Parts: sequence; structure tokens; C-alpha cells
Amino acid sequence: MVENARSINIAASILLAIGILYIVGPLYLTLSTASQSYEYMLRNGLAWVPGTELFANMGKVIHDTRIPIQMLNSMIVAFSNALATCILSFLSAYAIVYFRIRWAGVAFALILATIMLPLDIRVITTYQVASNIFSPLNAVLDFTGLNSLIEMMFGAPIQLELSVLDTHFGLIAPLVAHGTGTFLFRQFFLTLPKDLFKAARMDGAGPLRFLIDILLPLARTSFASLFVLTFLSGWTQYLWPLVGASTPDMQTAVVGLARLVPDADGQVPDFPMIMAGAVLVSLVPLTMIALLQRFLVQGLVLSEK
Amino acid sequence: MTAIDTAIRAAAAEIDLIGVTKSYDAKNTIIPPIDVTLRRGEFTVVLGPSGCGKSTLLQMIAGLERVSGGKIVIGGREVQDLEPKHRGCAMVFQNYALYPHMTVAENMAYSLKVAGVSKAERAERVATVAKMLGLADFLTRKPGQLSGGQRQRVAIGRAIIREPGVLLFDEPLSNLDAQLRHDMRVELAELHRRIGATSVFVTHDQVEAMTLADRILILNKGHIEQFDTPKAIYHHPASVFVAKFIGSPPMNILQVEGDGSVLRLADGQAVANYAGKGKFQLGIRPEDIAVNEGGSIKTEIRYREDLGSHEILETKTAEQNLRIAMPFGVEIDTTQTLSLSFPQARLHLFEGESGRAIANAFGDAQPASVKEYQ
Repeated sequence: MVENARSINIAASILLAIGILYIVGPLYLTLSTASQSYEYMLRNGLAWVPGTELFANMGKVIHDTRIPIQMLNSMIVAFSNALATCILSFLSAYAIVYFRIRWAGVAFALILATIMLPLDIRVITTYQVASNIFSPLNAVLDFTGLNSLIEMMFGAPIQLELSVLDTHFGLIAPLVAHGTGTFLFRQFFLTLPKDLFKAARMDGAGPLRFLIDILLPLARTSFASLFVLTFLSGWTQYLWPLVGASTPDMQTAVVGLARLVPDADGQVPDFPMIMAGAVLVSLVPLTMIALLQRFLVQGLVLSEK
Repeated sequence: MTAIDTAIRAAAAEIDLIGVTKSYDAKNTIIPPIDVTLRRGEFTVVLGPSGCGKSTLLQMIAGLERVSGGKIVIGGREVQDLEPKHRGCAMVFQNYALYPHMTVAENMAYSLKVAGVSKAERAERVATVAKMLGLADFLTRKPGQLSGGQRQRVAIGRAIIREPGVLLFDEPLSNLDAQLRHDMRVELAELHRRIGATSVFVTHDQVEAMTLADRILILNKGHIEQFDTPKAIYHHPASVFVAKFIGSPPMNILQVEGDGSVLRLADGQAVANYAGKGKFQLGIRPEDIAVNEGGSIKTEIRYREDLGSHEILETKTAEQNLRIAMPFGVEIDTTQTLSLSFPQARLHLFEGESGRAIANAFGDAQPASVKEYQ
């Protein structure tokens, strides 16, 4: 408590109210516009008054656009991303914390570096790799001169090619490579008693049994919170799905929403339908937050009691 | 005597360490080659200051650390290359290391579960051990709901439920408060008397060592300083290190010089008769010093500590500190200079350089009680 003065209270309340307005205003505008007809919007612009057309607009989104299949794509991408990230982070943190590995510190530093180099920064190189996942190998072969050697012996250099653009795998894989989860699990493992691993070994449990019987149940909440956070970030990804998928049937819902605005000039977008689509697309993460907000908070706190 | 008592007594195994050594890299040797035999059913306490390699030694026996050289033989079997579960050892850890998400019963039964013991037998053995350790009412609780002493009992239960040949303790009492530590010490001693398992107990606490051990192994920088019964170690320390480590307050060590017939302090005071020349270290326990009985050694009192049952006088003679333990009720004028005498039978003589004890320096110096004991 800073000061219990009336004037400060009032000022704080006003500030809070402005903040709420700032956040809730656009949400309200979305909902109210989504509930009006296209004609109403053409006449009046964005609607501040709720109408009765919400379900009709939603129906239009479901029947006339590719949002449903794009939501399925989003679902696949977000879910697989969350699951793969959880498993990968869990295993890498396990390796770093519980085994005496040479260069463990360096490996951990490299993993942390991915946090400082998000996908948005390396989107072009990621695109290059995704368009041919063998391109790094080809580059190494070229660079080391191995390829010219191979060319001399077999007549042609090795040039492998496999594109994962426009596939679910291509959408998911670049999102999975992220160090936050490893960091979270590492921090959690470090709070556990050091002798736990030894005790399990004395009890006859090997590394795998220790992982499944002891570590996994203990890390349940960390697992859940990381899953929720990664799912949400996967669902709301925009840049990479935009670049990584070019056919409408492979795009994710967030990208699909943006594409609902017609490219042609002069045509007024069907904002009520787009808003209804936005509401639909937000329903999934919204439900998720409502149901699992306990884990969300724990995940943000990063460590357990 | 229940079934599990006899089973553990029967399983108890001898431990032979043959040239066991440990180093993490070529330069730093944690433990130089050690040869020692821990007898079947014996309670051995490994005692030493922190960093002396005692925990490493224990973990090498357990199989949690690899040996760099030498052999470990448990019950006639060479085990140094085996996994912990094949060595027949169980361990109690300093911070209990209980599985936080499992109940007391599950914690104790986990090793049996891993070994594939049937559910019915697991329940039966958990019930037996829980009864023996007074944990029967807590079986469905999680470790977080238990007190420190109860947790420690669960950790012990988890160790003995497998009826191991060897029980290893890694400073198990150091996390408890003083009262509980005392109670657990008594409990451990009783348990050992009951089940007779070969036990190795690592600690840096001399009281635990003196009260629990059949024999104490004193380690200093990985070397065995002395391996003997508590009484023998107290009355016949093999080196200055042991003499200073055992006893509270520890033994006084005075630097003296021999002229061939008498040992003298730096200021020329004669303290004992000894036919040796050169530098020596003379040891005498604070409680063995006789005060004001026509003694010839002068010392100045610097400070007195009243501990109720007795008093500790911090004094200085010939620029060397000398502690004297006085029985309660003896009136001392703290301003005066004390005259002391050192009873010849209670003196310990050590070599000046190496600090090793010189046996029978003052004739047969054994107190009566030790003679009886041996």
C-alpha cells in the first residue's frame, strides 16, 4: 500500500477504468459488429449496437468460407506443437539436469539462444530450410568439398531435395524448436531433492523408470502449464503459417481470417462475417484459458512452491 | 523376533574394500587406495571433516559412483562393476529423498514393485516394516504431511524392506534438530541391535560416531587415520588429527621439545619425563588435567565458560592454548595463575612432524576400563 488517500484512489480507479475500456472496447466492437447484417454495416459503419444476426453470420462463416477446415488445421498445429514441445523439453531438461554430459552447459546455452532468436527473426532461413529440408546437408557437403569428391567418384554431386511447405509437419516443426520449455523443466527439476535420482537407483529403478515413475508424476503441473502456453501460442501464430502454407486448405484459422478481407480494391469487406469468424476462432483458446487458467498462472510463475 | 529381522540378519554381508581408489581426473585423487574389511553385522561409522571423501566412499560401496581402481567385495561377490540394484545395498539419504507424490506405503514398496514382487506380498511386507518402525498409522499419508523424524523412519523402512545385505547411511541425522537427533540415534541403535544388518554410517558428528559405532573409521583427505572401537579411538588416538577430532572439547596438543630425559615447553617448563630428543607433540584431554595439586606447570586463565555440569577454562601456557575442564563446584580464582600437573598415565605423545602416535611412550598408559574392554 503506497498511500491511502482518497484522491489517489480516485485517480487509480479512473486509470483502471481507462485500461479496461481500452481492452474491452475492441472486444465489444467485435461482438456487436458480428451480430449485425452486412447491409446494416454498409449503411452505418462498424456497429456499436448489438444486433440479431450473430448466428446467421457464424453460419455464413461455417458454410461459405474455409474457416472450419482451417480451424482443424490450427487444432492439429497447436496440439501437435504443444505435445511435441512438452515431450522434447522434458527429455532435454532431463538429460541436462540428471546426467553428467560433456558440454551440457554449452548445449543448454544453445537451447536458451533459441529464446533470443524467435521464428520471426529467422523466418527467411526457416523458409529456405522448409522448402528443402536437406539444404543444410547439401550446403555442408558443398562447403567441405565432399561433394566435389563425390562428383569425381560417382559422376554427380549429392543434391537431395524434400519440401515440407504446405504440410502439417512443415507448419509444426519450426514452432517446436523453442527453449522456453526446456528452461521451465530445468528450473523445476533443480527444485527437486538431488538425492531423488540416487534413491531411485538404489531402489532398482533405471533412468527410464525414474523418468516415468518419479519425474513425470512430479512434473504434472509444469507439463500442463507448458502445454497450455504452447497450445495458445501455436493457435495464435500468424507469420510462420502465413509463409509456410500457401494453399487455403493448409492455412491456419488466424491466417484464414485475414484472408477473408477481399484483395480487390473498392469492395467493402463483410465485416460482420469476419468478426463472427474472429469470435468463432477465439472460442477455442478462450475455452482453454477458462478451463486451465490454474496451470496458466503456474506456468507464468515458472516454478512450483 | 519377526521374520524380517531374521531375514535381514541372515542377509548381512561382509564388505571388503581392496585397494579401492577414486579420482575424478588424473591430478586430484579423492581417495588413495584403501584396504579395509567391514565385518558382517558390524555397525561401522565413517567419520571425518567435510571433503574428506567419506560420502564418496559410501557411494562407491552403493554403486552410485564408479571406483577408479580396486575391488569391492560384498558377501564374497565382486560388485564394483555392478549396478546398485545388484549389490544388495540399501541407502538412507541425508534429505530423506522420499518420493513426494507417493504415499508412505508406496514409498516403501517401490523397490519391491520395481523388482516385480506381487501386490499381496508387497502389502504384507510394508505392514511388517511399518509396524516395526511405528509407521502403521501413516501408511496412506504423503511425505509432505509427516514430521522430520517420521520421514526419516520412512526412509529407513524403504531401505530395510528389501532385506539388504548392507545398510548405508549418508548423514541421515544432520537435518534433524538436536532433540530429534538424539531420539533417532537411540532408535537407530535399537534397530541395529534387532536386525543386525551390516551398516555403514557416514557422519561428521563425533557424538553419533561414538554412540552408534561398533568401530569407527576416521578418514582424513581420503586416508584412513584410524579404524578401531570408539573406546580405543578415544583413549588411544593414532594421530594428532584423531586426537583433535574426537572429544568435546578436543584434546590439547602442546608443542614440546625433548632433551633426552624431560619434555619441555618453549618457555622451559618441564611437563613430562621422556627419554627422547627432538620435537614432539604432547596431548592431554581437558578433563585429565589436575589443577592445584602441587603441580609445577603454570598457566594463565584467559576465559571461563560455565556449562552448568562443568566449567571450561581457556588458559595459556608458553604461548600455547590449553583448555581445562573443571568439575562443577570447584572454586577457582580467575585472576590467579594456575599450577597444573599432567598425570603421566593420561598423556599422549605424537611425533613432531608426522603427528603419528608413539605407542606406550609413558609406560602402559591404558586406563583400567580399556584393559577390561579389550
